[in-house]
Parts: sequence; structure tokens; C-alpha cells
Amino acid sequence: MRIVWFLLEKEFHQLRRNRTLLLLLLAPVVQLLVLSNAANYEIRNLNLVVVDQDHSPAARRLVDKFQYTPYFRLVAVRPSVRAAEQDLLRDRADVVLVVPRHFERALVRERRADVQLLVNALNSVKAGLAGSYAASIVQAYQGEARPATVAAVLAGRGGLEVVPAYWYNPRLNYKTFMVPGLIFQIMTLIVMFLATLNIVREKEIGTIEQLNVTPIRKWQFMLGKLLPFWLAGFYQLSVGLLVARLVFQVPLVGSLPLLYAATALYLTVPLGIGLLISASSRTQQQALFVAFFFLIIFVLLSGLFTPIEYMPAWAQALDRLNPLAYIIRIARMVLLKGSTARDIAGPLGALLLLALTVNALAVWRYRKTSG
Amino acid sequence: MSGAATQLPGAVAGPVIRAEGLTKTFGAFTAVDAISFEVAAGEIFGFLGANGAGKTTAMRMLCGLLTPSGGVASVAGFDVGREPEAIKRRIGYMSQKFSLYDDLTVRENIRFYGGVYGLRTTEIRAKTEALLGRLGLAHERDALVGSLPLGWKQKLAFSVALLHDPAVVFLDEPTGGVDPITRRQFWDLLYEAAARGVTVFITTHYLDEAEYCDRVSIMVDGRMAALDTPAGLKQQFGAADMNEVFLQLARGAKNTE
Repeated sequence: MRIVWFLLEKEFHQLRRNRTLLLLLLAPVVQLLVLSNAANYEIRNLNLVVVDQDHSPAARRLVDKFQYTPYFRLVAVRPSVRAAEQDLLRDRADVVLVVPRHFERALVRERRADVQLLVNALNSVKAGLAGSYAASIVQAYQGEARPATVAAVLAGRGGLEVVPAYWYNPRLNYKTFMVPGLIFQIMTLIVMFLATLNIVREKEIGTIEQLNVTPIRKWQFMLGKLLPFWLAGFYQLSVGLLVARLVFQVPLVGSLPLLYAATALYLTVPLGIGLLISASSRTQQQALFVAFFFLIIFVLLSGLFTPIEYMPAWAQALDRLNPLAYIIRIARMVLLKGSTARDIAGPLGALLLLALTVNALAVWRYRKTSG
Repeated sequence: MSGAATQLPGAVAGPVIRAEGLTKTFGAFTAVDAISFEVAAGEIFGFLGANGAGKTTAMRMLCGLLTPSGGVASVAGFDVGREPEAIKRRIGYMSQKFSLYDDLTVRENIRFYGGVYGLRTTEIRAKTEALLGRLGLAHERDALVGSLPLGWKQKLAFSVALLHDPAVVFLDEPTGGVDPITRRQFWDLLYEAAARGVTVFITTHYLDEAEYCDRVSIMVDGRMAALDTPAGLKQQFGAADMNEVFLQLARGAKNTE
């Protein structure tokens, strides 16, 4: 252990003099602040273009309805559908609302009237949301427009109202959901890149050869390389939780010791992968490219941005090897639901298996003596 | 300090380095072709050859960095193929790529390598002081190694390689890129070490340095083409200096970089 201590001392001296230290200390805070606000699933200020062919008070009231919500912003009123299409083409409009001629008349006589919605579906998520916001506004408007009696009869006939209760995130605050995942995504990125580059740098400079002719044992060397970044991971978790609590008011209902324990296990996986990559690469460029390859898959399949349940079966199968997917699930369960060790035993076990496999491979791959 | 070096932990009776038919192949290419030689304790053994002649490969095998493909070799009494880690405790190594950490201070480098070789903290402290005094680097103890002139770095790296009192020190082109005066100073350190019983195994490109060695071997195409004292070699090849000896031998080489 004494030798590991000397290795650690050296790493901290080097880290202290290296500008990446700043990255290590500040990046998690900055990234969490930026990403939490950017990774937003609520859409506001959709650009609305109106084609009013009816020119009636009823049509004007409907357009007003759209404007009163925070979701739509009226950007233009066009005389024809054709002109509005130009807005769609130039990406100036997200939604075009066409109020047809005789809209008011139909509303009064037949108690219902149709409008046309043209939705720019270049971004399908945005289009889906825009469509459903608009549909619900139109629906609500039609409900109001009906005489009170008719509405009452209708309500009495089918009168079933569903009032959902959202557990663990009652106000459906997307930040509550995103921040725990983001903390681990950022931690994984930084810690894995730095660990990977650290060892390859020693290869490039040639100092690794010097270490290979010393009596250092493989496990001592690897521990000496793992530990500094392992500790950095805890720093990032702590800072992340502070920001989550103080800035985003994420309720931290679960056991923090449990989360730290899970993190202790988790960190050995990306660090082990970093060691494995650097043991197999000759240059920082090579190592960086391979690390990037893995990280982008980890992040996009982590369930942070797209629910894993939406993914095709093969992607879900692939996710069984994704450490980030496990820890994000653990973090959400522990922080938001207060899950106990028993509840997260499944993903914890999977992480343990991954950790053992990856680090065994890394120790096997790292050679002090080559063939 | 002066007393510490007299009893070398790696001291063995007989030759300190012994190679017999030592061979290394990479695929179809034979980098080192069955070389045999012995080096005695306290000897300065020069290892010459053109680029690509197999010097570095042979040295890397002796240091336990590379497993031989054939033949046997022992260093400080341990087998190169089977006990590379035991050898590593008894040798010092200074590679042609510079081997101290530029972003550590002089003292931190010494402390780190001392620690890695398992020296006690008090030992490290005493040796650090002695070493800094001997090299005249006492005022630079807290300077980053990266800020030192190359000649100083080389002397420091050599002294650090001797920190754990190894039986053999392997030097792979240690004096590249410095002026003749600095090189001469470096050789004074080598003589001091050899006088204390440390075996010095050195590869070099500088043929004037070959004259300073006790014995010199010249490798051509992975084979050991000549092995004798500098005087003996000059006589054997009827040459005025080592340069001429080298040119006569190296002219016929096939594997050059």
C-alpha cells in the first residue's frame, strides 16, 4: 500500500499543476447549470401563424385563446393558406391555424365547427407537443362555445373525469427528473476522459517505460491511477447534489449514504474502461477516439434523454452492458423515491458484474513485460 | 551515503549479466540473433550498433521489458524470461526517451522513485540530500524538472536510476543532444558508479564514448559482430579509432532504419 501512496502523491502533485484541474472542479457545476436548463421537454413560445378566413368574433376569440397560453406566440396573420405555407417552409411557423369560412355559423348552428392545424413536423417531438397543445385549446374552446345546458347534458352522459395523481414528482417538474441523471452523465464523461488520457500521456512521454522497469505491481499502478479520479467522482457527485438541492430544488428524499455507496461501485466501471482503453492505445488521439465511441453510446442509450422502454429490443439488450443506464436508474430511484438497498439490488448487482469484468480485463491487458 | 553503496543488495558472484543464444523475433524479422556474452560486476559495457541493429531490443530483454523468443539470459542472478520482476528490483534504467516527470520538482521525482523502489522515508530524505549535494542541485530542489537544462536532467535521471543501489544500470543512449563537456561530466558519474561496483550497460551513438568503456560490443543485423576492449578492437581491425572500427563493421549491414 505504501507504493500506492507514493503513486497517489505523484498524481496529486501533477494534477495540482495541470490546467485540467480547473475543468475537473468547475465543469460539473457549469455543465449541470447549463444542461439542466437546456434539456427541457416543455415547449413554450411556439410560433403560430393564423389564416383567418372567417373574420368573425368567434374566430378572433379562438385566436385569443391561443395567445393567452404561454405555449404559442402569434407571429403573423396571413390572408391565405398558401402564404402560410411559406412560413412553414422557412421555419418561421411551427403551427398554422386555419379558421375556415363559416366557422362561426357552424359553431352556432351545429354546435361544432372544424379548424385546420398545419404542424411543422421536422422535429417530431416538438410537432407532437404542438399538435396536442393546439388540439386541447380548440377542444376547450368548443366546450365553452356550447350553450351551458348542452354542455351539462353531455357531461352528465359520459361524465367520467380522470384526475391523475403523479407520484414522486407531483408537479411533473422535468428538472427533478433530469438533474440526477445529468449529474452522473457529466461525472462519467469527465472522469472517464481524464483517466484514459492520463495513462496514455505517460506512454507518450515515455515515463510508463520507466515505471515498467520498477518493481511496481500491476494492481498498485492501476490503483494509483484509479483512485485520484475515483475521488474526483465523489467531488462531482457532492457538488452536483448541492446544485440540485440549492438551485433546482430537487427533492432529495432517499438515503445519500446509499447513493454514495452505489457511486463508489459505479465509478470503478468507467474508470476500468478508461484503463482498458489506455492500456490498448498508443496515442492520446487513439484513446480519445475510442473513449468517445463508448461514451456517446452510453449517454444516448442511458435513458436520460429517451426512456429505455421506448427503444427497440436490441437497444434495450445492449443497455444491459451500459453502466450509465444502471446508475441513472439507481440515482432516480434513490433520490426521488427513497428506494432502499433492497430495491436497487438488481442494478447494483449488474454494476458489480460489469466492474469485475472490466477491471479484470484491464489488469490482464496492461503488460509490464511485452511479448 | 559513502558507506551505503559498498554493500550492494544485488551483488552476485561471477558475471552480473550473462546471455547465451539470446534471440528475439518479431514475426519473420529477427531483431536479435542468438547473441552470447558476459558482463562482470563493476564493468562499463558499451553496446554499439547502427539504428535498427537490435541494441534497444536486446537491452529491453535484459531489463525484463520484453520476453525473449529464444536462448537464455540472466541479470543479477535472475532469469530474464521467467523472473523479470525480480530483475527489476536489482536494476536501474534510464531510457533514451527522457524518464523523469517534467511536471514534478527535483525533490518530488527523487521521492517518487525512491518510494516506488520501497525505500524508507528517512532513507529517501538522506539520499535526496546527498544526491542534490553531489550534483550541485541543492538550490534547484524545488524547481520543476521540466525547467532544468537537458544536461542536468540527464545527470539527475542517472542518479535517480541509482537511488536503490542496483547491481546493474542500463542506459539507453543517455547522452543524446548535449555538448561534449556535459557528456564528459556525465561519464564522470558513470566512472564513480562503476568504481562502487555498479555494472554499467550503455548503448550509445557517440564513438568517442565507446573509447571510455571497459569493453565494447558492436551489433550488426541483430548479431554481435565484435566484442573486445576498445584497444583490442582497434588492433583487430587495424583502425586508428573506434569510428573506423564501427564503419568497417556497419558498412555491410542490411537492417538500417
